[in-house]
Amino acid sequence: MRSFFAFFKKELLESFRSGKLMILGILFFAFGVMNPAIAKLTPWLLDVLSESLAETGMTVTAVKVDALTSWTQFFKNIPMALIAFVLLYGGIFTKEYESGTLILVLTKGLARSKVVLAKALLLLSVWTGGYWLCFAVTYAYNAYFWDNGIAVGLLPAALHWWLFGIFTVCLCVLFSVLSRNSAGVLLGTGGTVLLSYALEFFPKLKRTIPSALMQSASLMIGAQEARDYAGAVILTAALCVACLAVSIPIMNKKQL
Amino acid sequence: MTVDILTIQNLKKSFGEKEVLRGLDLTVPQNSIFGFVGRNGAGKTTAMKSVLGLLRADEGEIFVAGEKVVFGQTATNRHVGYLPDVPEFYPFMTPREYLRLCGESLGMNRAAIRKKSDELLSLVGLSDETHRIRGFSRGMKQRLGIAQTLLASPKLLICDEPTSALDPIGRKEILDILLSVREQTTVLFSTHILSDVERICTDVALLNEGRIALQGKVDCLKEAGRTEAFTVEASGNEQADALARAFSNVTERRGETLVFAGGEKEFLAVLRFIAENGISVRRAERMEPSLESLFLEVVAK
Repeated sequence: MRSFFAFFKKELLESFRSGKLMILGILFFAFGVMNPAIAKLTPWLLDVLSESLAETGMTVTAVKVDALTSWTQFFKNIPMALIAFVLLYGGIFTKEYESGTLILVLTKGLARSKVVLAKALLLLSVWTGGYWLCFAVTYAYNAYFWDNGIAVGLLPAALHWWLFGIFTVCLCVLFSVLSRNSAGVLLGTGGTVLLSYALEFFPKLKRTIPSALMQSASLMIGAQEARDYAGAVILTAALCVACLAVSIPIMNKKQL
Repeated sequence: MTVDILTIQNLKKSFGEKEVLRGLDLTVPQNSIFGFVGRNGAGKTTAMKSVLGLLRADEGEIFVAGEKVVFGQTATNRHVGYLPDVPEFYPFMTPREYLRLCGESLGMNRAAIRKKSDELLSLVGLSDETHRIRGFSRGMKQRLGIAQTLLASPKLLICDEPTSALDPIGRKEILDILLSVREQTTVLFSTHILSDVERICTDVALLNEGRIALQGKVDCLKEAGRTEAFTVEASGNEQADALARAFSNVTERRGETLVFAGGEKEFLAVLRFIAENGISVRRAERMEPSLESLFLEVVAK
């Protein structure tokens, strides 16, 4: 256990000293501010544009914004934050294969499983921290300007999206032990997410595949309930565990 | 009785079509400084990585301190300290932080890590270094590498070409450090620089075409390679002619230089002849075998 924490501490130190942690912190915070800001600015923007729009024959009626507008923005923007996160941290394993830094600590008797788990824990922590930071900032602004109570299904919707991020992280770990370079990690992770999208064409699968967790709109306004997505939640959680469980034996047999 | 710390039996390894190791046998006795010599690409690194369980061998067995090495499960590595040819450390750490990570990976306690780190950093001359590893020179990285391999007090220290990329001063520093740790551990290091081997090694093995072509104590090998011959370089062709006429055991003549067959007795006879007849010579010497000539001979076969 000591060696696990020693390696986790090293990962944390690396994130911190390389500046990645700060970049992501700023990014998630900025996204958190942007969501209510865009919602707040929308009426003003339309007002400014209304005259020129009127000339082209379009009429702009008064737009009503509330917390839901801001939360809609949140779920629109968070995929970008997730992509930025994956791009920044996608090389967390492969960079070490390429530079050979792992060899020295592994020949010290550090178990390979601990390398996988420590890195996975770091990724999960950073995603979780960043995501909920973004959520908290948006929540606070929304509470100040409007009323968050209007988004009745907000918590399950947010939890679903967080779980989808966790799923992406686990995919990253799996493709990191399978692949030798970060291109492989990004392709594998991106490809699997796309595959999940593609499966949405089958109505039977629509509610049970991981990407279903991103369909937050109807959940948020209460048109659907969390239990409608129970299948997707269970399947995604199981896939997360499976990804990590499979990664360890693969890493154990990897030639470094 | 001397115990063998490392035994390799019939090790084979191919990368695709390329057969790198073709049945390598090697034994490293305890408390030796073992030079593992071979050309670039001879398979030295492959053999070493197999010992560390980082590469899967196609065939053959490896024992470290009597325990079998299993690929991927590197339990035997608790006996081994490994220093790659270009050791790569986490550049964002200081030497002390890096040694702490290594110590904690080894399961050492805090006090032991601190004590050992101080000791080793002063051994390799990095105790005042507080900068991050990012800005280190190759020689500094190599020295830090030795410190981190010794942290676990390994029974066997494996260094992959520790001196190849260094300038003469850096090389001397590394060789001195290796020589000074001999009391504590067995050192196996690969190199293609024969003068390094002659300088510090007790034992040596030559890897050629995937097999061990020659192995033994450096002194014994040199003794066995001693040829019964000596050379005399006369000053002037006439002097050389006089010598060549007087002795029947001249085997070779290159200008004014004559090569004689024979040992002590014949050598003295020639010297006496030179003194008595007032022949002027520039040089007269017994031929000392060098590892280089031995190895060139073996490789040429």
